[in-house]
Amino acid sequence: MNWQMHLPALALAVPLLGAFLSLVVGLGGRYLRNAWMVCVSIATTAICIMLLQRVLAGGTMVYVMGAESWNFTLPSGLSWPIRIIIQVDAFSAFMAATSSIAALAGAFFSLRFMDKFTGLEKFSALYFLLVTGMLGMQITGDLFNFFVFLEIASVASFGLIAFWRDRPEAVEASFKYMVVSTVSAMFVLIAVGFLYGRYNAVNIAAVARMLHMGYAEKIALVFLVVSLAMKSGAVPMHMWTPDAYAEAPAGVTCLLVAVSQASLYGLFRVCFTLYGVTAGSVVIPWTIIIMGVLSMFIGVTMAVIQKEMKRLMAYHSVSQIGYILLALGVGLLSLKDPQAMADYGFTAMKGGIFHILNYTMYKGLLFLSAGAVFYSAGTRDLNELGGLARNMPQTTFMFVIAAAAIAGLPPFNGFVSKLLIYQTTFAVYPLLAVAALVTSVLTLASFVKVFQTAFLGPARKTFEKVVEVPASMLLGMAVLTLVIVVLTLFPGWTLSHLVEPAAKALIDQSGYISAVMGGGL
Amino acid sequence: MWEKVYSGFGYWDVYLWLLFFAIASAVVLFIRSKGRSDYKEGTEQDEIFYGSNIVPEDGGDIAVPAASAYWGFVEALKPYYNWLIELHTGIASEYVGYFMLTLAVVAVLVLL
Amino acid sequence: MTGNAPFLVVGVIFLLGLYAILTERNLIKIAIGISLLEASANLLLIVLGYRTGGSVPIFTLAGDVGTMVLPTPQALTLTAIVIGLATSALLLSLVMLLYRHYGTLDVREIRRLRG
Repeated sequence: MNWQMHLPALALAVPLLGAFLSLVVGLGGRYLRNAWMVCVSIATTAICIMLLQRVLAGGTMVYVMGAESWNFTLPSGLSWPIRIIIQVDAFSAFMAATSSIAALAGAFFSLRFMDKFTGLEKFSALYFLLVTGMLGMQITGDLFNFFVFLEIASVASFGLIAFWRDRPEAVEASFKYMVVSTVSAMFVLIAVGFLYGRYNAVNIAAVARMLHMGYAEKIALVFLVVSLAMKSGAVPMHMWTPDAYAEAPAGVTCLLVAVSQASLYGLFRVCFTLYGVTAGSVVIPWTIIIMGVLSMFIGVTMAVIQKEMKRLMAYHSVSQIGYILLALGVGLLSLKDPQAMADYGFTAMKGGIFHILNYTMYKGLLFLSAGAVFYSAGTRDLNELGGLARNMPQTTFMFVIAAAAIAGLPPFNGFVSKLLIYQTTFAVYPLLAVAALVTSVLTLASFVKVFQTAFLGPARKTFEKVVEVPASMLLGMAVLTLVIVVLTLFPGWTLSHLVEPAAKALIDQSGYISAVMGGGL
Repeated sequence: MWEKVYSGFGYWDVYLWLLFFAIASAVVLFIRSKGRSDYKEGTEQDEIFYGSNIVPEDGGDIAVPAASAYWGFVEALKPYYNWLIELHTGIASEYVGYFMLTLAVVAVLVLL
Repeated sequence: MTGNAPFLVVGVIFLLGLYAILTERNLIKIAIGISLLEASANLLLIVLGYRTGGSVPIFTLAGDVGTMVLPTPQALTLTAIVIGLATSALLLSLVMLLYRHYGTLDVREIRRLRG
């Protein structure tokens, strides 16, 4: 049998093995641990990219844990699946590949960035546990497993945010995130319980086939949507985001950005695949759109007044999540109406999914460059920084690319996805497009502020001895810069070969169901 | 590989933009090359003009701090910002409260 | 009617936990509230799988039994308990660190990060 059949299981097994073995490998000293971290990260990314390739070529992949054969979804004589099923369609594979690239860059960056910390074998164990949880959320085909991976990712991220445990702010940020996140995870579990009580199944495809709306389903939908929107940092539940993103070590923040995308993945998987057209009312799509607009606007206005570099960028991730929610909310709104879907809905979804890819790349790069500034200059306070472009030319160069991309300056990739979002949301309600445009202008304004105060300006005495960061940190940033440049130069190819299959997979509910349940019944 | 991106209302062609960028840069460089070439290094032409004052040694003394950026913008939106900063209290149980409030509002809207 | 009593208990425990998280100032009490939420979610899963008069869901040497309770929710609950254990342990250790750094357990005074 072809070993590539096992790629979905390997995507979880490799980082999990990496997590537990890094405690053992860590005994062998610093170089061995770093080598292990690099190897596992590269292997995970390679597996995810191969998975994407295979899914794009051969359609949805199903992998059954513990069955006699890997694709034996329905035990003989039963009409619903009872085993744990991993299901990877084009959207899952797209998300997994995107996040694994961010995880790779974060791992490269962390090798030297974490120098001043102790207990680094625990750091790499938690790091890979977080990667496992993130990938698990994105490729599982089972609601309860989704909850389990959500909790794995959450617990690992609490540990990583509070990793600098001598710093009160880091512990505080981790505690706040933990309280909010655990409460919301319990709501996810209760929603899964409701669905199980109604349908005796936790498999997404099986539940989606049987689903019909009643009170229990409606409440479960609300619980899932609001909890997952909270985990991805949508206004008005975004308050933990700036704390957690700003206080985590920079390499981890890069990964946290990708993990928030996994929560978004869950949100859209629930809305499009689990409920789909059955959800009926327009309340949920409009809730998502309004959350998106509020996130965009409140996030960016809070960012303009921030004085700390990473906190400013964290508020921007709230506002960028808003763009994605807005675009996919418009897609969800037009799900019932084939005409609207063809006119603007599908393009909006393409814009939203492309923005997920773009956002993960440039946001990760921005957090890494803020981390590089902190590593070299020793402060993140914008009032104290200045003139660093002389000392750190490479970091400055990559920061400018990322800042131009996030502000949506043509010709960068951020512009392309934002263009698609502006033009399609205009068709729904012109005010949405106006809000998106104003947000974009304010984004540019606040990054001009960061660039001007941190990198430009006269050279300061305090930073005379500042030098460029080590090569491995530059390599981590270069990975993301390279992806941004490629996305910028080939937007048409990316859209038609990566984004469009993902968008099609997301709206193809029957395809997702029949991959597990077969055509019959 | 080299196709345009159609949005349903228009299109985006990155290569056209890069071409335009190259042409614009060429024009700018051409205009710049027409500038005066009698500039002398190491004379007083080379010095920073700081309002006829002596330029401070440390650059930090003449830099504009980030706190002053967009002062007018923030001042004009003072009521809005006061409200917004009050929202971010930093108290963990209030963050849970916002989550529960959103949950309740959406639940009421969906169930109605 | 008595069949629904367990669900009522789930609801009461859940609301108690939520009340503790929202109104208590002491971090330890907030942690207790979170544990209560976890307990009520676990209880919900167990109750969902119960069948009246059912026996243990083990097929081997089961003997003469009519109905069995559903096994899946029990497996789910075990997993959820393990996750709850990890969260509680981490939460309490964070509370300990916070007390060490801030010298207080009042949630309203631990707010260095705001705005």
